Amino acid sequence: MSDEQVKVDVLVVGAGPAGISAALCLARRGLEVVVVERGESAGAKNMGGLLYGTVLNQLIPNFHEQAPVERAVTRRRIVFLGPERQLALDFGSEAWGRAPFNHTWTVHRPAFDRWFAGQAEAAGAGLVEGTVVERVLLEGEGAARRAVGVQLRGEEQFRADVVLLADGAHGLVSQAACRELGMAGPKPQHFALGVKETIGLPAGVIEDRFGLEPGQGAAIDFIGAPFENLIGGGFIYTQQETVSLGFAGRLESLQKAGLEPGDVLERFKQHPEVRRYLRGGELLEYSAHMIPEGGIDCLPQFAGNGALVLGDAAGLVNMSLYKEGTNHAMFSGTQAAEAVLEARERGDFSRAGLASYERRMAGSAALADLRKYRELPQILESTPELLGLYPDRVSRLLVDYFTVTEDSKADVQKRALREFFQGLSKLKLVRDLLRARKLL
Amino acid sequence: MADLFSLTLEDKLYRTRYEPDSDHPHITVQPALCRDCAGKPCVLLCPAHVYKRNPNDTAVVLVSHDNCLECGTCVQVCPTDSLDWRFPDGGMGVKYRY
Repeated sequence: MSDEQVKVDVLVVGAGPAGISAALCLARRGLEVVVVERGESAGAKNMGGLLYGTVLNQLIPNFHEQAPVERAVTRRRIVFLGPERQLALDFGSEAWGRAPFNHTWTVHRPAFDRWFAGQAEAAGAGLVEGTVVERVLLEGEGAARRAVGVQLRGEEQFRADVVLLADGAHGLVSQAACRELGMAGPKPQHFALGVKETIGLPAGVIEDRFGLEPGQGAAIDFIGAPFENLIGGGFIYTQQETVSLGFAGRLESLQKAGLEPGDVLERFKQHPEVRRYLRGGELLEYSAHMIPEGGIDCLPQFAGNGALVLGDAAGLVNMSLYKEGTNHAMFSGTQAAEAVLEARERGDFSRAGLASYERRMAGSAALADLRKYRELPQILESTPELLGLYPDRVSRLLVDYFTVTEDSKADVQKRALREFFQGLSKLKLVRDLLRARKLL
Repeated sequence: MADLFSLTLEDKLYRTRYEPDSDHPHITVQPALCRDCAGKPCVLLCPAHVYKRNPNDTAVVLVSHDNCLECGTCVQVCPTDSLDWRFPDGGMGVKYRY
C-alpha cells in the first residue's frame, strides 16, 4: 500500500444522531475524531418521524432555537380505523406549546442531520461525507482480535484507537464487524419496514386541518383495518409545509400476510378518515427505511475490542407507542464517548477497557424502556384482537350508543351492550386486557 | 399533475431524488442460490419493486437497482443469501430531502 495510513483517536461510521452525538462529545473533550458518512451529506439516507430531544437538549441547550426543527408536537391522537367506523383519542397540553415543548419535534432528517453534523464539525470533529466505509479493519486472532480502523472504498485506510459503529438499521459494516468481534446478539435482529410519503401542503392548511397554532404540530398514530394481519400501524406527522404519511410493519408479518408494502400504504392513504387530511396535497417524496424492533432480546454486545456499537445499528429502538429511536441513538453516542474517554485514560481499548459503555447502557432509562416492552411483539402476534376486534367493538358501542332511534334510551343501550359482547369470551377478554396493559 | 390519490408506484418513485450509479450495480443476484427460493419474498416486500421474476426463467429474480431506496429489506428477507448487496459509491444512490 503506497498511501500513508492516517491515524486518529476515534473513527465513527455513520453521521446519524448516534455517531454525531459521540463525535460532538469527543471533539469537545479535545480528541481527534473523524466521522465517515456514505450519503452525499449527513441525513441523505435517512427518513424520520418524531424527534424526542431530551438528550440533544443536554448536548445543545435550547437546540430548537437554532436547529432546523419543523414543529413542536402539541397534539397527539391515536386513531382506530375500522372498516365502517373510527374511534379517536385526541389529547394535548397547552404546556407542550411552551419550552421545553415536551421535547417532541417533527424534523426533516436530511436537514436536521446536516445541522447536527455541523455542530460536531464546529466543535472540532472531522466529517468525511460521500464516502463509503467498506469494512472494519481487524488485527489479531481469536479473543485478541480487535478493530484497528476502517477500509474505505478504494485504497484508503483510516486507523484509530476505537471504531464507533453507528451505521444504522441497514448496517452492513457493523453487522460484519459484530460477527467478527464476537459482539453479535443472542438472537438475530427483527426489522420493521417503514414506508413514507412526504406531501406538500401550505402551512395554514395544515394548521386548520389539524387544529394547530402556527409552529405547533400534530402526531397521529393509526391502527386498524388498513393494517389487518400486520404487526404495525400508520402515522401522520405534520411539518411546517409538509405532512408525512406512512406506516411501519414487521417484515415477517408482511410476508406472512402476503402484503406488498406499497399496497398497505395506499390502502391506508385511501381511507376516508386519512384522505381528509391530505387532499389537495402534492407528493414530494416517497421513501423507505428499516427499523430494528427486536427490542431487548436482540441487542448485541455493545462493546468489543476496539469497537462500540451505537443507535439503530445496536437495535436501540423502542417500538411501543412512543416509537423512540433518535433519542436513544443520541444517548448511546454520549455514553460511548464517555467510555472512550475512560478507556483512553487507562490506555486500554480492549473490550474490558471499553466495558463502561456496556455498564452505562445496562443501567440507563433507554434500556429500562426496552425491558419494559420486552413482550410487546409476542403479545401483538398472539393477540391480534387488541389492534382489531376490540377497538372495533368499542367504536361500535359508541356508535350504537349515539345512534338516534324512536326506541327508549334504555333499550338502545341494552342492545348496544349486547352487540358489544356478541361472540366474545369474557375470560379471554379479561386475559387479553391484562396483556394489553403491557403495551402501554 | 396527477392527483395525489391516483399515483402509481412509478409516479411516486419519480419524486424521489437519485443519483444512480448505473455503471456499478450495487446489488447482484447469485442465480444458483436464488433458484433454491420458491417464495421470492424480495419481489413482494421491496417497497420500490427493484425485484421481479425473470420472465424467461421465473425461478430467478432480475434486479433494477436504479430505483433502490437502500432500505435493506431484501437482504433481511432473502432466505438463501443470494444477494450481494454493497452500498452505492459515496454520495450516489438515493438522496432523501425530507
